Amino acid sequence: MNHMANRAETRDPLAVTLSVWQAIFLREALDRLFDMRGAWFWLLAEPVLHIGFMIFVWSVIRARAIGGVDIVLWLSIGLLAFFLFRRTAVQVTHAVDSNRPLFAYRQVKPFDPAIARAVLEAFLMSIISAIILLAVALSGRGSLPVDPLRAMLAAFGLWLFGLGYGLFTSVWMRLVPEMKHVFSILMIPLYLISGVIWPLASVPPRYRGLLLLNPITHGLELARLGFVPHYHAAAGVDAGYLYAWALGSVFLGLLLYRRFAMQLVMQ
Amino acid sequence: MILVDDIHKRYRTRHGVGKWVLQGISLSIPRALNVGLIGANGAGKSTLLRIIGGVDHPTKGSVERRCRVSWPMGQGGLEGALTGRLNAKFVCRVHGHQRDIADRLAFVQEFSELGEAFDEPVYTYSSGMRSRLQFALSLAFDFDVYISDEVTAAGDAAFRKKAAAAFKAMADRAGLIMVAHDEGTLRQFCQAAIWIHDGQAHWFDRIGEAFKAYKDTLTK
Repeated sequence: MNHMANRAETRDPLAVTLSVWQAIFLREALDRLFDMRGAWFWLLAEPVLHIGFMIFVWSVIRARAIGGVDIVLWLSIGLLAFFLFRRTAVQVTHAVDSNRPLFAYRQVKPFDPAIARAVLEAFLMSIISAIILLAVALSGRGSLPVDPLRAMLAAFGLWLFGLGYGLFTSVWMRLVPEMKHVFSILMIPLYLISGVIWPLASVPPRYRGLLLLNPITHGLELARLGFVPHYHAAAGVDAGYLYAWALGSVFLGLLLYRRFAMQLVMQ
Repeated sequence: MILVDDIHKRYRTRHGVGKWVLQGISLSIPRALNVGLIGANGAGKSTLLRIIGGVDHPTKGSVERRCRVSWPMGQGGLEGALTGRLNAKFVCRVHGHQRDIADRLAFVQEFSELGEAFDEPVYTYSSGMRSRLQFALSLAFDFDVYISDEVTAAGDAAFRKKAAAAFKAMADRAGLIMVAHDEGTLRQFCQAAIWIHDGQAHWFDRIGEAFKAYKDTLTK
């Protein structure tokens, strides 16, 4: 070990940050995949069961297609896109709390576990989505994306919004602990009003404008358009609107992290 | 060289902000010197040490580290759900030792005497096993300056003896900034000293003079 002792200079900040990101990414990945017996199995089984149940519900009422898209594909894309947002948001929200002992090393900053978790979630959801959508395509009830760039644009926008939402909520939960309950309840109405399990087109146009204030809706409809270009998406769906929210929330989240970094880490 | 520039610190309490613990401390601490921090209980020794180690942050002022400074020895964070080995891997990666990770892990496992428990989750460890792992982690890296706050390695007599020898070797090789309540320990390891009194820091090139100044205030 003595050959290291002569190296007097310190590492440059970028190298430190990159090695911290790598370390937390690997630590989080092991935790997510092998924490419990078969943890990796449930990562895939949970969305599969959820999608399967929704398909069952819709087939009971004998719906075959929504907006010109097969119900199986329509539900799979919508649910996977929503899970991408929700899992990223929830993981980032609890990133600081779950890594509290590791801040004893000054190289680790509050933002580091947040970004590592968001990237890990994007990675896991890509694999899970690929498996499920490929299975749907092979079953003959769907297809591979006709416009993959648009689907990826939608997915990236939802992921980014999930990151921004998580950054924002984690700071608020630290400053106002009661908000924990509000944020955990909020996910259920978001799930119900985002057009995940029922089509926005069934809402009268008068009220549809209200629902389109929700950026997640835009992301879901865009993702479906990426798979099936002739899909009758709700009028007024706009990638720019989703990205305005996504970038705005990430910016606001980073601002809060910058301002309240100390309060996040201190006991 | 560690440059401490005009540090102020006060803590937030349940009843708003507390009183100032440190008020305008400026120091330049050379790299290859063993420095003891002395002062009365609650004078802010540990606070200053934690700020120098980067674990706590000053309310005002800054610390510039122009060399590699350790975290407070034996107080490294351990994530309970991970095994000792995974915790050690994390610390290696954070400190930029991706390449020689195997050597460092071997050292930590051997020094901590954890054996097969090294691959068990940390929450299953006894407090003695935890502190053996934390002490071994602190010694696994070559820092220019080590930070030590009342490091008392736990474990049986043989381990304590080994730990004390390792601590001595480390103090001879690298710089050290330490807090200890035992005057003899400080005199054994440190040449220079910082005396903290009324939120101010006073530097002494010889630790004996620092103790003299400290004791003069006690008799008054």
